[in-house]
Amino acid sequence: MRNEKTIFLCEDSVDGIFTGVYDAWDSRLGHGNVKLALKGRANYEMFASYREVETDGEKAEKVARTLRRRLGPEDYAHIYQAALSKEEERADSIYRVAVAGLAGGRSGSIMQNLQNPAVCRIFELSRTTGNEAHRYYQFLRFRELAGGVLFSEIKPENDVLPLIGDHFADRFPGEDFMVYDRTHRLFLIHEAFKQWVLVVGEEPDWEKIGKISDRETQFASLWRGFCRSVAIQERRNVRLQQQFLPLKFRAYMTEMNGGA
Amino acid sequence: MKIQESMSISEKLNILSDAAKYDVACTSSGVDRKGDGKHMGNCLAKGICHSFSADGRCISLLKILFTNECVFDCKYCINRRSNDVPRASFTPEEVCTLTMEFYRRNYIEGLFLSSGILHNPAYTMELLYQTLYQLRTKYHFQGYIHVKAIPGAPQELIDRTGLLADRMSINLELPTAEGLKKLAPHKSRRTILGPMRQIQNRMEENRQELMVYRQAPRFVPAGQSTQMIIGATPENDFEILSVAESLYRKFQLKRVFYSAFIQVNEDSALPALPGGPPLLREHRLYQADWLLRFYGFEASELLSEARPNFNVFLDPKCDWALSHLEQFPVEVTRADYRTLLRVPGVGVKSAQRIVKARRYGALGFGDLKKMGVVLKRAMYFITCGGKQMYPVKLEEDYILRNLLSVKERLPFDLEHYHQLNLFDDCGVMR
Repeated sequence: MRNEKTIFLCEDSVDGIFTGVYDAWDSRLGHGNVKLALKGRANYEMFASYREVETDGEKAEKVARTLRRRLGPEDYAHIYQAALSKEEERADSIYRVAVAGLAGGRSGSIMQNLQNPAVCRIFELSRTTGNEAHRYYQFLRFRELAGGVLFSEIKPENDVLPLIGDHFADRFPGEDFMVYDRTHRLFLIHEAFKQWVLVVGEEPDWEKIGKISDRETQFASLWRGFCRSVAIQERRNVRLQQQFLPLKFRAYMTEMNGGA
Repeated sequence: MKIQESMSISEKLNILSDAAKYDVACTSSGVDRKGDGKHMGNCLAKGICHSFSADGRCISLLKILFTNECVFDCKYCINRRSNDVPRASFTPEEVCTLTMEFYRRNYIEGLFLSSGILHNPAYTMELLYQTLYQLRTKYHFQGYIHVKAIPGAPQELIDRTGLLADRMSINLELPTAEGLKKLAPHKSRRTILGPMRQIQNRMEENRQELMVYRQAPRFVPAGQSTQMIIGATPENDFEILSVAESLYRKFQLKRVFYSAFIQVNEDSALPALPGGPPLLREHRLYQADWLLRFYGFEASELLSEARPNFNVFLDPKCDWALSHLEQFPVEVTRADYRTLLRVPGVGVKSAQRIVKARRYGALGFGDLKKMGVVLKRAMYFITCGGKQMYPVKLEEDYILRNLLSVKERLPFDLEHYHQLNLFDDCGVMR
């Protein structure tokens, strides 16, 4: 029996992690002897050997398909959401949940087994990412650019764009809109009556984005006025407001910025 | 005041949102509706709050009055006939444009449309109907609409409006008929409960229709709600909670909202509240309301004729548990879901997680903590695998002392908490 750990270094993305799960499993070193870590994020350990994982869409798809089929769509959704989280240890936790979930002799859903530390961790990460995505359902603000396109900027901690695309596309089917994720430098682009897409590695055209439409100023100031007048002075409670609407979201919100 | 012929839309929005702000309901929950792929809008059953105003209340809907002109003279209301305030009215087009443009920028989840009584209830209701009709058919808005049913409006008009709205509400305003007579002379219990019953019956009919024909138009799919003003009249908490309970049971309301009375008018019929609006009382009522709706409690368990008001220092669930120590400790690994729900510090979600997780193996206190159980409250009332977390005594005084030393997180400043003894004079406390 080997005592040395083998650490699989995968790319910091959903596909990278799923490929890592595939390779680590496929290596037949035994589940106890392998560990997943993220390239560039992990601390190096002594007495361990390292293997680089080449991200492979096909392998990732196989893992995703297997997890979805064997664990069910709900549990897979948890794992996928956790994979979008920013935390480093998500890679190894996903591997552990896959091992526990694909082992036989179990009825019901693996994600209910919260006593298992890896399951609990994935559950937490999924919840954090899901909650942040919901925050952007709430606090994302569009502004209308000169050409009639709606534009929004966000700065999320986790990679939430894949989670919010469906919601906004369903809500605004006839609108051209884009959302720019500053943290991950990702674009969500939706053309009217088409499927939304993610675009990687493009920089926004700041000059174009600076030009807002004529009506935009008017509606933004109407909205600011509404938010002011709807507050009841006798109940003023800024701490409660801050609890529900943390400061980090306010930078890109219409009603929290801009003068009169 | 000066009568202005034309007011800008921003002036109107200021006046009419300011006039609508005392209505508490601002939820967008209760209906799941996918977008139709062509027009703007969808709905999520859990609801979405889009912003929070400086008082910490959620802004989910564009909450406006259609007009703040009113023929009624309710003592507590800023828009009463006898008040000299600037008056304005929207046109249906203005309401539609505002809703569509705000919605498009993801500012709001939909429209909350209420109104003062212009000329008479039927005329006002017709205006509301026309606005909704335009918004739904001309602008094809698929988002959430909450509309007020005007007490005294014809039944047929309310029926038609209900087919366009997601939620309807009629405000009960005051918990008892005497209070209503005293403070809202133009409204009566009958004109409020009548339409409420009618909407309930129509919803029931609609359920039958939908069973026969899935595409039948839906009548008020997100149900109806109401609101009561707290602290304007001398009712105690037990009376208020009993009223809420019967509204949930007999009228199948989705929500009852409680609104701490805010003194906007000087009137001899209104109480003076030097400590500000009774926010803690409102908070306790909401806590109890949740116990009624999600935790299987009954009003008569929480309060009684002999003890008609909530404990100021303890939340209603802890308070109940302390006076029912014979039912504790609860063994977490074996107790059924309903029993778990009654443990202070265990909520709906953590109870569900416990029930599911314990099928897979033993639970420890560490696991409970991770599942969301608030152990600093729960530890006095539970055992896990036959053991207590720490050796604590199951004694009322001992637990009370310890529970009070953990500060309860209240949604407002501690200042208010200490000012409470001012309420003594108003008969709020025991």
